[in-house]
Amino acid sequence: MDETRLRVPEWTKPLWDVVVVGGGNAGLVAALSANDAGAAVLLLERAPHHMRGGNTRHTRNIRCVHRKDEFYTGDYLFDELWRDLCNVGDGPSDEELARFTVADSETIPAWMSAHGVRWQPPLRGTLHLGRTNRFFLGGGKALLNTYYREVERRRNITVVYEAMVSEFIFDGDTCTGVVVRHGDVDYQVRTKAVVATSGGFEANIEWLRRYWGDGVDNYVIRGTPYNDGLVLARLYDAGAATAGQEKGFHAVALDARSPRFDGGIATRLDSVPFGIVVNRDGERFYDEGEDVWPKRYAIWGRKIAEQPDQIAYCLWDSKVQGLFLPPMFGATTGDTIGDVATQLGLDVTRVEKTVAEFNAAIVPGGSFDPTDLDTCRTTGLRPDKTHWAQPLDTPPFFGIPMRPGITFTYMGVKVDRHARVVRVDGSPFRNVFAGGEIMSGNILSSGYLAGFGLTIGSVWGRLAGTEAARYGH
Amino acid sequence: MATDTTLPAAATEDRHETSLHALVREAERQLIICNACRYCEGLCAVFPALERRTVLGTGDVLQLANLCHDCRACYDACMYAPPHEFAINPPAILSAARLQSYQRYLWPRRVPRLFRGRIGVFTGMVLATIFCIAIAWVTSGPEALFRGPANGAYSPYEVIPYEPFFLMGLLPAVFAAVITYLAGRAYWREIGGRPAGAGRVVPLLKAIWHSMALTNQRGGGADCHYPRDDKPSPARRRLHITLVAGYGLCVVSTLSAAFLQDILHIDPPYPVLSVPVLSGTLGGIGITIGCIGLVMLKKDSSEATSVAEMNIKDYGLLSALFFLATTGLFTLMVRATAAYPLVLVIHMASVMLFTAMAPYSKLIHAVFRFQALVRDEMEAAAEQARRR
Repeated sequence: MDETRLRVPEWTKPLWDVVVVGGGNAGLVAALSANDAGAAVLLLERAPHHMRGGNTRHTRNIRCVHRKDEFYTGDYLFDELWRDLCNVGDGPSDEELARFTVADSETIPAWMSAHGVRWQPPLRGTLHLGRTNRFFLGGGKALLNTYYREVERRRNITVVYEAMVSEFIFDGDTCTGVVVRHGDVDYQVRTKAVVATSGGFEANIEWLRRYWGDGVDNYVIRGTPYNDGLVLARLYDAGAATAGQEKGFHAVALDARSPRFDGGIATRLDSVPFGIVVNRDGERFYDEGEDVWPKRYAIWGRKIAEQPDQIAYCLWDSKVQGLFLPPMFGATTGDTIGDVATQLGLDVTRVEKTVAEFNAAIVPGGSFDPTDLDTCRTTGLRPDKTHWAQPLDTPPFFGIPMRPGITFTYMGVKVDRHARVVRVDGSPFRNVFAGGEIMSGNILSSGYLAGFGLTIGSVWGRLAGTEAARYGH
Repeated sequence: MATDTTLPAAATEDRHETSLHALVREAERQLIICNACRYCEGLCAVFPALERRTVLGTGDVLQLANLCHDCRACYDACMYAPPHEFAINPPAILSAARLQSYQRYLWPRRVPRLFRGRIGVFTGMVLATIFCIAIAWVTSGPEALFRGPANGAYSPYEVIPYEPFFLMGLLPAVFAAVITYLAGRAYWREIGGRPAGAGRVVPLLKAIWHSMALTNQRGGGADCHYPRDDKPSPARRRLHITLVAGYGLCVVSTLSAAFLQDILHIDPPYPVLSVPVLSGTLGGIGITIGCIGLVMLKKDSSEATSVAEMNIKDYGLLSALFFLATTGLFTLMVRATAAYPLVLVIHMASVMLFTAMAPYSKLIHAVFRFQALVRDEMEAAAEQARRR
């Protein structure tokens, strides 16, 4: 037997004040907050060092209540953020917790700055969110690196990578420790309190299959492959109550050639409002010009998921080429729509018919404006395209295949106002807390507000860390 | 989706073109992903410049390559960095492209084998020193190399008289200036020159500020991620500024000496508390500190983001500058002793060699980087003018 296996790691020995499970944004904020409150913290990160941080790696900004400053182009106050939150999907799941989240968000940017985070002013790529959202310099991985550097500076926080929490050990309503698998060995770690910040289950294809059927085999998972929901499942086993809808997820339209996992932001597509979208059978199925793209970006994943074979194709012509970011894998090009359809494996006759009908249905006299809701529309189609409708008539033509890309799932554990995980019988565990995606279903039912995942992770990570420290220290 | 992967027939003739073409393709592959992501746009000028482009040609890549100050903050921030399958590593690919740009516009493009590498520097130094001794021997007689100073401290003209001394300084400088000018002109054309709608003066002034303060090496505020990718530190930036300031002081020393001598007709040697001696001493110390510090950082620099050949060029320039500065300081220290003539000829030889070889060394980066900064400011100005 390998000698290193016999040596028990130091971090398995103490009775910790707080064990944080999951080293993404919520986990790091929880660990730092618990440590700020004086607790000795063990942070267990499932991924290896280069993949640390879960889906925070792919984030870029946070949405908080604020007044205008050098990093925002305007005010964004409680009422407006609350209204925006109520307007997505079915609105907040738990109004009290959602109101608290919005109110507490106002203090988050200052907390982040105090813990080393740097910001960038709104530039070209961020301008459309420049008033409502605050952008951390360099994006999510830079944010994580900053927090991890801060964590490494603290004497009383220990981080372990490739540490998978496989069991919670309970004594009645109290968690006394966790079982950690690390380097093929299971270790028991004792703790006074636990914070679960381990994300959702969007990378667990079999779990998704329960709600979505075999269509999931055609879904792209945009983030970390480590979010398999193991911790969430263990908490359910221990009697935790569910918050959020089981089919609740955030999904966007992605390039079908994206990697199965972890492709992040780069494989997204911005071409939809400028062309038409057809399904496997060459038929249009939804208004491509319903609203400006940032506002409709997040509905197309679900729309494509509902189509046969979970695939769709965006087609455009050279008139609009260059008005949006070029797809990272390039586009299929051809001198005729039929040529592009052939290369994409579509029924040429059907696609040509769809395009011809679309071109014929365009209301004459519209004035094209790519930057705002314009007057170019079709009439008499089902569905109509209500803005930016221009005939596809100028070769070369372009096309790309699209798949649904899941960003994250909403269903998680129910929490109370102190971030304690609540059981099915309505009573909370005494010392098990949760923050971030694993409890986002308490706040979001469906739909999504850009940057609000980070808000939930920061507000609830901080609360969970502070409350856990109070309990454990 | 047809992407042309065949090389132009003419390019396959030339190894430089072939490797540059491959680099440009790889840079394009990576930068398209960067342009789809844009998380790095607050880090430096490279990413906003990238966002202005939807197509990337050779000129674009070489512009971005020289605009990059190698702070490596983007690598630290990148979730697509290796081992991710997208394998994004802008510092490395832009360094590799930058390295190609250093020789692309030079005449001759490849320095003759005899003058390349360590052997080349050694050969050059030996030849230049023999040349300087020969000049001293012929003009001042063999005794000039051994007798003590005429009164207290040596004047260089006791070893080599003014006219040959002046020519020995001037001729390599003229050669270097011509080569550098032609290279700069060719580079400026390749990166597109001045875009329509851009002014000249304001972009030039801004570029001067950026090149002096190294604003693009701050990683957008967190500071330079060199030498360790995961530990921001101001060390490299400060050492580089120290080195450049030292170099500038040495130029002040030379010019002020010329002024004293040719305008005010005060001949050397100059007292310790004079502009030429003070600025030369401080400058020499600045260069020495800068060189030692930068070499120490480089030894610790992360392999993932470094290009080995670029490191060789960096070490070459830093050791040459170190040698130049220390022999210069040494001539000041020994100017009252009989060792002066020998130290002076060695310093003279190194000045001549360094000046003549400067365009072929890493020093050329200063020219292309400055031009890239000017071009970038002009692009930004032209874009603003278009928006208005």
